[in-house]
Amino acid sequence: MSRSVWKGPFVDSYVLKKAEKTRESGRNEVIKIWSRRSTILPQFVGLTFGVYNGQKHIPVNVSEDMIGQKFGEYAPTRTYYGHAADKKAKRK
Amino acid sequence: MDDKVCVGAIAGSFGVRGEVRLKSFCAEPEAIGDYGPLTTKEGTSFTVTVTRPIKNGFAARLSGVSSKEAADGLKGTQLFAPRDALPALPDDEFYHADLIGLAVLDTGGAELGEVRAVHNHGATDLLEVFKRGYKSTVLLPFTREAVPTVDLTSGRIIADPPEGLFPE
Repeated sequence: MSRSVWKGPFVDSYVLKKAEKTRESGRNEVIKIWSRRSTILPQFVGLTFGVYNGQKHIPVNVSEDMIGQKFGEYAPTRTYYGHAADKKAKRK
Repeated sequence: MDDKVCVGAIAGSFGVRGEVRLKSFCAEPEAIGDYGPLTTKEGTSFTVTVTRPIKNGFAARLSGVSSKEAADGLKGTQLFAPRDALPALPDDEFYHADLIGLAVLDTGGAELGEVRAVHNHGATDLLEVFKRGYKSTVLLPFTREAVPTVDLTSGRIIADPPEGLFPE
């Protein structure tokens, strides 16, 4: 069953506070968070969060198309290396 | 930069007519047949003709391999394509194979480490940077702000990482 709309999206309050503080300071820093369950809100766009994966903080640059997802979706708890082969990386 | 890139491996024989079971490491698995003759680590060259997709890979015919026994003997062999066979990419796009091994320096010229792997977890691409003497690796977002310069010819990356990413 999905979450009731009247409750609004769930975000741990400390995530909101940290994000607001960083936005006000205008500094380019990684906001370390442990809350993988928090929803990504529009006011987080452009910020970089370090989302804990149980071992370390994975940097996640929030973009518009990530709104509504949870932070944990972008910080997997298992690492797979695989082969480089012809795989490409794009600098955004 | 290596002049050869591992694009697949032979997982064993397929059927009794000398076909092999081919495992592709390419971003688009079917592309393994597009890179011309593939070579082994020892230097043996094969022309690969992919015949059909099968479970966990492709059935393929290799030049000079016509019996099941010969195909069985190649089990576990890695196949390499020449780096030049990979098509040129537009600006700001790089092959993982080119990025891995590059030295990472900060804007002041101090060494931050070496690229060990490239990941993508759904947000931006991430460079996994390893520095000798450190216990764990650091993930650096592959963005224009965090990585202003990628110099493949001199084999280095200039990084301007966000505060708190690298340990002091």
